[in-house]
Amino acid sequence: MNNPLVQVDPGLYIWTILTFLVLLTLLAKFAWRPLLQSLAAREETIRKSLADAEKARVELERLNQQSEAIIRQARVEGEQIIGASRADAERLRGELREKARAEADGIIKNAERQIQLETARALQQIRNEAADLSVAIASKLIKKNITREDNDKLIQEALSQLSVSKN
Amino acid sequence: MLAQEHATEHAAAGKFDAGETIIEHVSNSSIDHPLIHLPKVFGIDLSVTKHVFMLWLVAAIVFVLVTTIVRRYLKSGRQVPTGPMNALEAIVTWVRDDIVQPNVGKKWVGTWTPLILTFFIFILCSNAIGLIPLFEVVALLDRAILHSSPDSFLGRVIHGGTTATANFNVTAALATITFGAIIVAGSKAHGFVKHWMNLVPHGLAWPIYILLIPIEIMGLFVRPFALTMRLAANMTGGHIAILAILSFVFLFAEMFGSALAGVGVGLVVSVPLAVGISTLEIIVVLVQAYVFTLLTAVFIGMAINVHH
Repeated sequence: MNNPLVQVDPGLYIWTILTFLVLLTLLAKFAWRPLLQSLAAREETIRKSLADAEKARVELERLNQQSEAIIRQARVEGEQIIGASRADAERLRGELREKARAEADGIIKNAERQIQLETARALQQIRNEAADLSVAIASKLIKKNITREDNDKLIQEALSQLSVSKN
Repeated sequence: MLAQEHATEHAAAGKFDAGETIIEHVSNSSIDHPLIHLPKVFGIDLSVTKHVFMLWLVAAIVFVLVTTIVRRYLKSGRQVPTGPMNALEAIVTWVRDDIVQPNVGKKWVGTWTPLILTFFIFILCSNAIGLIPLFEVVALLDRAILHSSPDSFLGRVIHGGTTATANFNVTAALATITFGAIIVAGSKAHGFVKHWMNLVPHGLAWPIYILLIPIEIMGLFVRPFALTMRLAANMTGGHIAILAILSFVFLFAEMFGSALAGVGVGLVVSVPLAVGISTLEIIVVLVQAYVFTLLTAVFIGMAINVHH
């Protein structure tokens, strides 16, 4: 046991245990426990942040889809509205045209009837006046003492007139 | 005294004794020439030798470094690690997630991570400081400039190896802590009595127990013993190899009676080989710290999660 490599040294043994235990106590108190706690807290933070980010991503995705659906719907609706209004306009124009035509026809018919009416009335009036005139002439003729020659002359005149009017 | 004897012996023989020199460089400083004399307690000499001094030095360095880094990080209030905290955090999370948790389970991670972390960092630094020729530089300075007396603190501290973990008294003490931790872990998880009952599987025929109980009791002591020897021998072996190779310089110088031969051998053979082995030693330093730590975690885990 003279070889210093294998010399039993209880003092060194005890010093090692003491040194190590003191170091362990000090490090555990001042370094390891606070550090491990901080690391665990940070891991928790990271895990939560990741979960939050994932949640936000999913939410964003959802919102994106939602807004896309809304836009799509709006586009469809817009097209529908445009189509409907085009059809409406078409229909309205047709209706207006029909109405205008109908009105024009009415006006024309009215005017024609009016003309006919007026014409008829004018003819009636002329007829009446001619009758009155004939009566007046006739009465004048009757009142006057007409001679034979005169009578003939009148007849002749009337006849000529008739023939003229016949022509 | 011993060193002086060696010196006189060397002077008398006038020859370079490689074995003596190597042992002087890897073993503890002599208990008869401690750095600080302390009285015997119950017949145990508690004097501070080189290896006790190295333990303290490493413990102080580790404590100051780790605590400073952690305090600075916690005080910054930000959760983003910067600078050395990145390295420390990598070690801490690796030990916690890859060594402690797979072995002791989620429930006991918080309880055992500080111990395992301290084991790892302390053993790693004790191993690694042995690779740095700190005291060889001090000795060189002393011889060239300071000329301190062999009885002064400086004169004593340059004797003996710097790797405390190469001393099996130190590794035995560390293994004793593992031994204690196993018992504490088992008792905490199952109760003191149940822990000892867990050593052997339940419900076997009694003749098997006659065989099994002694085997398990042997196993109880073999595990820390293996830890002790593995670490100490690994830490000693590499150093001895490097020193033996470097001894070539002096052996050849003596053999050919010229310093030039020694320097030649040194440049061509010794230094390249020593560099190679030192590179290996870096790996060994890491691996042995890891193995000790991992096995401690495995043993603690076995006491907690009993499978038979």
